[in-house]
Amino acid sequence: MSTSDISRRGFLAGTAAIGLSGILGGCVGSGGSTDGGGGGGDASPSGPITLQSSAADPKPKAALKAVVDAFQGAETTINTVAVENFRAQLPTYLTSSNPPDVLTWYAGSVARDYASEGLLLDVSDLWEGDGACAGFSDALRDLSSTEDGSQIFVPTHYYWWGVFHRTSAFDEWGVQAPETWEDFLALCEMLRGRGIVPLTMGTGSTPWVASGWFDYLNLRINGPEYHLELLSGEHSFDSAEVRAVMTEYAKLIPFIDPNGRSYSWQEAVTPLVQNEAAMYLMGAFFTQSVPSDVVDDIDFFRVPIIDESLPVAEEAPTDGYFAASGTDNAAGAKELMSHLAAPDSQQTYVSKAGGAYLPTSPEVDTSGFSPMVQKGIQLLEESDRLTQFFNRDSSDELQTTADAALTRFLDQPDQVDDILSQWQQAAEQVFQA
Amino acid sequence: MATDTAVSRTAHPVSGHSRNRWVFHALMTPFTLLWIAPMVFVLAVAFRSFDDIASRGLGALPASFTFDGFATALDEGSIGRALANSALVTVVGVVATLFLASLAAFALSRHAIPFRRTILLTMLAGNLLPPQILLIPVSSITETLGIYDSLFALIVVQVAFGMGFYTFVLHGFMRSIPNEIVEAAVVDGAGSARIYARIIVPLSRPALAALAALATTWIFNDLIWALTVLRTEEKFPITMALLNLQGGFVSNWNVVASGAVLAAIPTAVVFFAFQKHFVSGLLVGANK
Repeated sequence: MSTSDISRRGFLAGTAAIGLSGILGGCVGSGGSTDGGGGGGDASPSGPITLQSSAADPKPKAALKAVVDAFQGAETTINTVAVENFRAQLPTYLTSSNPPDVLTWYAGSVARDYASEGLLLDVSDLWEGDGACAGFSDALRDLSSTEDGSQIFVPTHYYWWGVFHRTSAFDEWGVQAPETWEDFLALCEMLRGRGIVPLTMGTGSTPWVASGWFDYLNLRINGPEYHLELLSGEHSFDSAEVRAVMTEYAKLIPFIDPNGRSYSWQEAVTPLVQNEAAMYLMGAFFTQSVPSDVVDDIDFFRVPIIDESLPVAEEAPTDGYFAASGTDNAAGAKELMSHLAAPDSQQTYVSKAGGAYLPTSPEVDTSGFSPMVQKGIQLLEESDRLTQFFNRDSSDELQTTADAALTRFLDQPDQVDDILSQWQQAAEQVFQA
Repeated sequence: MATDTAVSRTAHPVSGHSRNRWVFHALMTPFTLLWIAPMVFVLAVAFRSFDDIASRGLGALPASFTFDGFATALDEGSIGRALANSALVTVVGVVATLFLASLAAFALSRHAIPFRRTILLTMLAGNLLPPQILLIPVSSITETLGIYDSLFALIVVQVAFGMGFYTFVLHGFMRSIPNEIVEAAVVDGAGSARIYARIIVPLSRPALAALAALATTWIFNDLIWALTVLRTEEKFPITMALLNLQGGFVSNWNVVASGAVLAAIPTAVVFFAFQKHFVSGLLVGANK
């Protein structure tokens, strides 16, 4: 029944397309001429390049534009789509018959996942000889490689996660960054007693933020090995180990700003800036949303250790670019990616993007960066193991199961048994697909 | 004396009428305020500066007046280009839909086409399907036809989806035109094309105007089809540009509000210009 309707519509669309092509000819022509307007007499014979970008926040967007403007190769158009829509449309972009050539996204399992479906261009030659990524660290090479050892990703910057707070506020309240998990919970309790929201968190339009605490608690309670195995489907979410994580998470819920359930991560910054909330577990990129007169007042501490016998792990998500395997200008795409990964470009991006990003190229001089960024570099150097983030260590599909489970958990922590069994069911479907 | 009675006679109905009016106003004023409060709020936010909002909160009374939000929305959000895209899609879409729908309705209502009732009901039934289940087919059909990611594709989809409903409404209207007029034209030697152009279309003007007003707002405000067939920022209509603006300027409420105000201007203009037709549009087909 529905099939016949669809084909009727298809027929209708088809006939309308043919029938209307005369009437609409003018409009198509004008659309086409604006597209080709700047393309006449192009320097590169291989045609223009489209860079599909998820960097929609004003500062990163301007930073990327500055980097691309300096590109000497093929004419490049940046298409910016806000990240939540970008995430939803990414599979459509990559599978379309005329995909965007280069796309912003994340290193690690998530890129590997798309590569395993044959959607990504092999960029191994950029990692060899005098290629743009040849000097990058082995850890970055691993993150950008598929199982068979070819590279499909060009990392350009990364950042660290931590519990951020305002130095002046901590001084005013007479409190210090906690060393142990017990101290941390006691600090939260004390702040709440004084009418301050201990933790801000925006899980409204950005539900993935709820995975931050899940990741850290799992890393601190069960260790990085278990965490990565869990995210690759080797353990069940409905297990004693994950239950232990949720027990600790439940202790935090009374300290988390209840209004945060309707905020985005950007909006959750406001209570922190206004001293209504004390702490924020976030990626260092969040400083782009902090008013410029407050940025220097922001400090952070490592998520306290819970089990000292475990290796210390930190999240260090790596951002960068991959190219669609369906691109009609593979050489131009690689040329653009080489430009994006070059030390000068990284320097430009990191200095203009506003967030506290770290460059992936060892040739970028980081000595002039702010004290907080120095502290971030030190944090990562003192860690035994680096992970990415929930979605980056698994897949965008598994992230949606986590979003559903964790946001429900925030609303109904007493339903944990039901939530975990449903989460496992949903995760199994993702892994089987 | 005579004037006195006249006054006293008319005084009663006037006071009764004015009491009703008072009750009406007393009841409706709060509703009106409730109704326009969000619009006033958005306008107030749009003209405030970011620092004012960030430091004093979104709900505070405005302490600043600036066009910064509008400048950012127009410049970085490319709202102007998006409005032009929307205008193009809407104008071409409305004209094409109404032209095709009026042809179809003319044929179905004035000619003895076999199964015309079935044809009409099938066209209408297609409109009752939720568009969500057709997103993937439409996306892959436009891919196959090679028109994916073009405004042309969006126009085609809008025309295809509007056709059923507009044909149904126009069919009802055209059937109510007395047959004698058409017969007189036939006697005078007019063919089908001439009857359509000289008699049916001019007489259907009220229905066409009403549908044009409705179609304009529907196509202009559409987001779901634009999301399905477009990918390039340059081609985004206003609804998608607003979504993007919201994603990029999450906490810059003044920019988001300015974008929303700019997006609302064309529909508001259309509404006030065609106010009369909107009301008659809701009544089209009500009394056949």
